Amino acid sequence: MTSSLSRSPATAFRGAGFKLPRGAALAVLLLPAFVLFAAFVILPILQAFRFSFFNWNGFGAPSEFVGLKNYATLIEQRHFATALTNTGFIIVVSLFLQLPLALWLALALYKSTRVAAAVRTLFFLPYMLAEVAAGLMWNFVYDGNYGIAHQIGALLGIDAPFVLGDATLVMPAIAVVLVWKYFGFHMMIYIAALQNIPDEMIEAARLDGASKWRIVRHVKLPMIRSAIAVTAFFAVTGSLQLFDLIVPLTNGGPNNASLTIVGFLYQFGVTRMRVGFGSAVSIVLFLICVVVALVYQRALKRMEA
Amino acid sequence: MKKLVLTVSLVSLLAHGAFAKDVHVTVVHMQQNPGELKLMDEMARTYEASHPGVKIDIRKFGDDYKTTLATSLQSNDPPSIIYSWGGGVLTDQVKAGLLRSVDGKISAETKAAAGTVGVDAFTRDGKLYGIAQNVSQVVFWYNKDLFKKSGVDPASMASWDGFLAGVAKLKEAGITPLAMGSKDKWPAAFFWDYLAIRLAGRSGMEAARDGKNGGFAGPEFVKAGEEFLRLSKLAPYQKGFEAAGYPSASGTFGDGKAAMILMGDWNYQESKTNSSSGKGLSDEQLGFFTFPAVASQKGTERDTLGGINGWIFSKAAPDEAIDFMAWYQKPENISQFAKAGYYIPINPKAADSLANPFLKQIAQNISASPYHAIFFDQSLGLSAGGAVNDVSAALTSEAISAKQAAQDVEDAMALDR
Repeated sequence: MTSSLSRSPATAFRGAGFKLPRGAALAVLLLPAFVLFAAFVILPILQAFRFSFFNWNGFGAPSEFVGLKNYATLIEQRHFATALTNTGFIIVVSLFLQLPLALWLALALYKSTRVAAAVRTLFFLPYMLAEVAAGLMWNFVYDGNYGIAHQIGALLGIDAPFVLGDATLVMPAIAVVLVWKYFGFHMMIYIAALQNIPDEMIEAARLDGASKWRIVRHVKLPMIRSAIAVTAFFAVTGSLQLFDLIVPLTNGGPNNASLTIVGFLYQFGVTRMRVGFGSAVSIVLFLICVVVALVYQRALKRMEA
Repeated sequence: MKKLVLTVSLVSLLAHGAFAKDVHVTVVHMQQNPGELKLMDEMARTYEASHPGVKIDIRKFGDDYKTTLATSLQSNDPPSIIYSWGGGVLTDQVKAGLLRSVDGKISAETKAAAGTVGVDAFTRDGKLYGIAQNVSQVVFWYNKDLFKKSGVDPASMASWDGFLAGVAKLKEAGITPLAMGSKDKWPAAFFWDYLAIRLAGRSGMEAARDGKNGGFAGPEFVKAGEEFLRLSKLAPYQKGFEAAGYPSASGTFGDGKAAMILMGDWNYQESKTNSSSGKGLSDEQLGFFTFPAVASQKGTERDTLGGINGWIFSKAAPDEAIDFMAWYQKPENISQFAKAGYYIPINPKAADSLANPFLKQIAQNISASPYHAIFFDQSLGLSAGGAVNDVSAALTSEAISAKQAAQDVEDAMALDR
């Protein structure tokens, strides 16, 4: 696959009566993509790395070199610890609650019937909603004065709690919104993968007397292994970047109890115009992402072996 | 033939560039009110009509105005005229050499209209950088009906102790004393701001900014947090205040579900807009009083907290930009904004045309104020200002000690000194 791709450009040059060594041809063809990648990905990362050693408010050029002070402050900051814990919590919920739920629903709904298609669409709808819109919507759901929480409380004859204003309940409440918002996406990936399993295979297992559960466990799941790996990767990286859903819900509150890593970066880096400090946060986040990507690659290789 | 066409079009293109006299002036702001936006556009068209060759382009930026501006000001094509809250952000912009001074470009008349306070607010290192336009003051808005019902006399709230007693009395009567929006943080900060300017006074504030006497970790500022906590201990805020933003809090007050809200003059309109009925409280039900005096205060109870907003000019701004803004601020023009009640103009001549009695009274308060302190999240800069907002929200839910709160502000301020 790769060799046929890389050979074709060389052939084109030969046709024009001009021969370019293969390495040079590759370089020429890769250059535009590399320039773009360097300008918009590598360079900003290097810039952020440099800025993270400065105390800089974003005006003029950074001039006050402070060494590792931004990183030291970060470790001391109690809210950063909260942000790390919360992000960890979101990852756990995404992996161990959201994905199994999506998988279960996918197994129930992957066959092409009219009802299944309708329900699938319904479950996929939250994913299509903009994050901010979803946040505002749930803000209303959770509102104990006017929202649905209030109505339910009234039905039960109790004062509804303000879950978004409660430091211990706020993260579980956000996790509910998160699962509601994204399970449909993961479900769709599973459905696509499940539909690719040849019917004969399942048929054969059934003829061999395998129970429903055994078919799932030993035929379907192994067949969609790579889809599961992809969703797990999406779930983890999505959790690491979670931010825009939380702003309309709680703005990181109450008292920074629902900050995520990116939320922390926004509150303490961007809105306070502490570009150097914010860069330090983003470098830490970047390193976490690199570790995740490496672990993922290794796991994938092991799985394929 | 082809060549000729090309040459002709090229020449005409160059000529157009060389002889074009159109001067483009871009104005950026983040005003929201549709009526005000329309009036701003009308002003621009009127000016253009009498100044051929000048094009005024008024652009509204979004909620992230302050951060967007930092980028666009440093781009190759910065806007000419920028809506500004002055304060520490202005200082940073001046320090970075991004702004154009208006010294010698505006008349003594325009300067006089802004008054000493207005000129001071936009002066850095002896140079004037902007034209002040409007002022605001944070006051306690209160619901007269709910006060009557609980038997609290607003006059008894002229001292902080009296205020706390009144809050307790309102609570006993089963009334929520205060509407609060802790999710947005800045509504909570008004309490810390006011307590700080009462206790430290003008000179104390200025010393703290410079890091003298322990800076913002000094005794007055710890005391401000302690007094704030005394209030929070009474649980005076509406249910769910930690999850409520300003719109929700102003609606709670507008719906008559809380007796008071500490908020700027804009709350007059916002409490109506955000109420369930859209009408809020009637003018008869509505009253306001200034922030009470605090025992052992070094400031005076006539000191005010609020804003002085105006317009500043980027380095690249043409002379026409300054001329346009000076024209825009003429009493006959700016009074149209006052008449419609969009804001209180700093120009007393224009303020006379305020139709709203509440705004009129507030305009008088500010002009009589010995010290009009700017909102801390502006005057202290985004870093320390952000810290004030953060710790204030924490003080409403008693999640931080007064000492830690003061220290957090000082730590953030230290980064900017």
